[in-house]
Amino acid sequence: MTARTVLKNEWRLLMADRPLKIALGLFVVLLGYALTNGVVWLRFQERTVEATTSGNVERASALRQELEAIEAGGQPSSPFADPRSPRVLGGPSGSHTAVLAPGPLTALAIGQSDLLPYYYDVNIYTNEASFQQNGEVENPLNLMVGRFDLTFAVVYLLPLLVLALSFNVLSEEREQGTLALTLSQPVSARSVVTVKLAFRALVVAGIVLGVSLLGALATGGFGSPGRILLWSVTVVAYSLFWFALAAWVNALGRSSAWNATVLVGAWLVLVVVLPAAINAAAGLLHPLPSRVEMVTAQREASNDAVNRRSELLARYLEDHPEMAEGVVADEPGLGALSWAATDAVNGRLEEVAAEHDARRAEQTALVRRYRFLSPALLAQEALLDAAGTGDARFADFQSQVRVFAEQWREFFVPAIMADEQMNAGVLADVPTFSLVDGDSADPACRATAPLAVLAGLLALIGAAAGVRLGRVRGAD
Amino acid sequence: MIHHIVRKEFADMIRDGRFRWSAILVGSLLLVSLAHGWVQARKASQEHAAAQATAREHWETQGEKNPHSAAHYGVYAFKPRLALSFVDEGVDPFTGTSVWLEAHRQNDFLLRPAQDATAAQRIGALTAAQVLQHLVPMLIILLTFGAFASERERGTLRQLLATGVGWRELALGKALGASGALALLLVPAAVAGAAALVVANPGPTASPLARGAVLAGAYLAYFVVFLALSLAVSARARSSRTALVFLLAVWVVNGLVAPRVAVDLSKRVYATPSAFEFARTVEREMADGVEDIAPPDRDESTKRLLAEYGVERVEDLPINAVGVYLQESEEFSNRIFDRNYGALWDAFRRQGILQEVLAAAAPSIAVRTLSMGLAGTDVEQHRHFAEAAETYRRDLMRQMNGDMTENSLTGDFSYAAGAELWESVPPLEYEAPPLGWVLGNRILSLAVLGAWLAGAVLLASAQVRRAEVA
Repeated sequence: MTARTVLKNEWRLLMADRPLKIALGLFVVLLGYALTNGVVWLRFQERTVEATTSGNVERASALRQELEAIEAGGQPSSPFADPRSPRVLGGPSGSHTAVLAPGPLTALAIGQSDLLPYYYDVNIYTNEASFQQNGEVENPLNLMVGRFDLTFAVVYLLPLLVLALSFNVLSEEREQGTLALTLSQPVSARSVVTVKLAFRALVVAGIVLGVSLLGALATGGFGSPGRILLWSVTVVAYSLFWFALAAWVNALGRSSAWNATVLVGAWLVLVVVLPAAINAAAGLLHPLPSRVEMVTAQREASNDAVNRRSELLARYLEDHPEMAEGVVADEPGLGALSWAATDAVNGRLEEVAAEHDARRAEQTALVRRYRFLSPALLAQEALLDAAGTGDARFADFQSQVRVFAEQWREFFVPAIMADEQMNAGVLADVPTFSLVDGDSADPACRATAPLAVLAGLLALIGAAAGVRLGRVRGAD
Repeated sequence: MIHHIVRKEFADMIRDGRFRWSAILVGSLLLVSLAHGWVQARKASQEHAAAQATAREHWETQGEKNPHSAAHYGVYAFKPRLALSFVDEGVDPFTGTSVWLEAHRQNDFLLRPAQDATAAQRIGALTAAQVLQHLVPMLIILLTFGAFASERERGTLRQLLATGVGWRELALGKALGASGALALLLVPAAVAGAAALVVANPGPTASPLARGAVLAGAYLAYFVVFLALSLAVSARARSSRTALVFLLAVWVVNGLVAPRVAVDLSKRVYATPSAFEFARTVEREMADGVEDIAPPDRDESTKRLLAEYGVERVEDLPINAVGVYLQESEEFSNRIFDRNYGALWDAFRRQGILQEVLAAAAPSIAVRTLSMGLAGTDVEQHRHFAEAAETYRRDLMRQMNGDMTENSLTGDFSYAAGAELWESVPPLEYEAPPLGWVLGNRILSLAVLGAWLAGAVLLASAQVRRAEVA
């Protein structure tokens, strides 16, 4: 009896087992539904991205027209919004929207993309408080419950299908009395179970990867093959983990009912209970400082700054001697005074934000350490990273926007300090944001540790199962 | 007779190692999550109260300035954590916690705690509500899936019925036995929760104990639904294995699949605009007006004032025409905000209602809605606070513009009001809606949960009556 015979028979058995066929069919339907949801969401985000891009172009061309009209002798539309003033041209009415295009595989994993902001209007007033904004308009109820996307189906439902397919691979043969017969052939229990599970793994992983690739194909995700590879490796490793667990439990030689109870218990603990417990532990051991303090700090800094404008200007010029040249020392313009105050507030906000971020990083590090306890958390993280909808890509985007805001200020602030006027000629030199998207090497690098742990768990349980199965004799 | 059955079932369960371990696990998760929730809620509550007091202090000590400058300075409002939020944090992590109340604009609530958390935290938060909605039903299934099916497999069902006990008595006895075992972990948790409310109330709410009692009732009904469903399935299933598989499938659909599908469906049916579109629409309507809402005409306003006071020049007006115009602008923008934010809130409400209707397919949605409502952490109560804050903002702006109008003249920018005016503005005092308001909002979920309860009990009694002995 060769592996081929086992495979052939398994296929026949599968085709004859109606409940199993129904379960598989239902799984395919659910995956299809999950993918549709992801695609709808991706299209929604793409429309917004397009609108922000055309908004940038429209704003720039309106400013150009107005500046050219003024140069030709016209009047600004409002004395408070004279685009020749660097505070206006670089301010909110001239702002540039920096946008993060949806992750290459957003259709497969909505992830954090419904919660975290993916575009910011950048102008000279952009500071740490500007990053405290809401993302997409979304019913908080929907954010709380979460979406039915492929990641959800993989992390939660795939293990259940795996367990349903394999909780009795060996125990059933024993219960039906066919085990002795099978093992009287020149095969070992180990190879029978391996082939049976390999067949099931092929079916399950084939379905999930098929749907994933279809999704990637439909949404242009093939532009990043590295990410697709990472996604596929994670899906395969995660499903193999559950197959290995089923093999090990089967090798213990108990009844099918016992196997089922233990495996469902394992699913419940690893997928539902542990992630929640880890989050709670992280919250208790490393409580996040509240952002509420940031509001108060900002307020106090700006009250203080407004009262000490002149003093702050003097200090600002000490810190930035290169700016001092254009400023009339004894009669600084209103713009210079007000900028000095803004700069002081920004500085204070940066301090508060840095403190907050340091404590947040501590908490995140803790959660990241404990996530090794739950394969579900490991898989989720790797899948989101692969899709480009995890925390890392949003954090990277935010830091790029920070750099861009700095460039923006460097462009306009000298003119503010010197009380200079701008003209249409400078528009071509105004900085624009272009995202440097970390190529797939970056997410792969981040996913190395979780994938390695997942592979380690898989190898450990697989080896234990192999040893146990080696001892199974037909006569037990 | 029935008390013998109850005693036997109860004793069986608490002697069963599997039950003991899972009950210890669920019970300790329940207690830990209550304690964790209570600590968090108290901390947040204290922080918000402190921040609110500081915000008031900033307002009162802002020094002498023109009332319109004070209006621009504005105040911050912080959303209070309500007393029962430690049981169910609901949508709180996903709504902002503070809003800036300033002139001319209705701002969004900012600082959503979930934005500071990691993606892992969205997989599951350990709250008492999560334990009650998901883990306790699982425990009920594990306790009772074999109630009839296993006895049938072992052949003891025939013997039992031969003693003359009726099906109904048997079913009731088994249900009560399981309830007794469950009470061992649920009653202490309920007592701990009530004690936490009475001894050290973590935050304000109208009638927290009454809310807590209804909350306990809703969960009790939900557990009875699962108990009855599980007994019904056990009575009918061919084997205990079939019963377990079927009940697990019900559990997965109820807790995992249905709520998410309901979210997607409600989003498809009642679409909301993107944040970008929303901001653009508000901006456009603020500039040009919309439909019958026109921006105020400054010349028109001045002319009317001149006629009213019978003078020729604005300088001769006894009031400040700018203050009148500013107030007119506020009234105009308020209508634009009401229109846009109102439509958005209504879309959220419709999405919520559709999900409540879909609870007909999954009772977890009904009990979740009731739980959040009673804990004061649902979308409606967030809106209630948001509207209270917005009303406060509008009153504040009216007072500032009114003071400017009455106490200064047109074109006089030197007028400055002081602490007396700032202190005359009452602080923002939020009163959480009463229990009746919450239940009125949640009639649909009450009805759906009631229907599930009646349906499950009827189903159980019908299935038990038709059950086979062997």
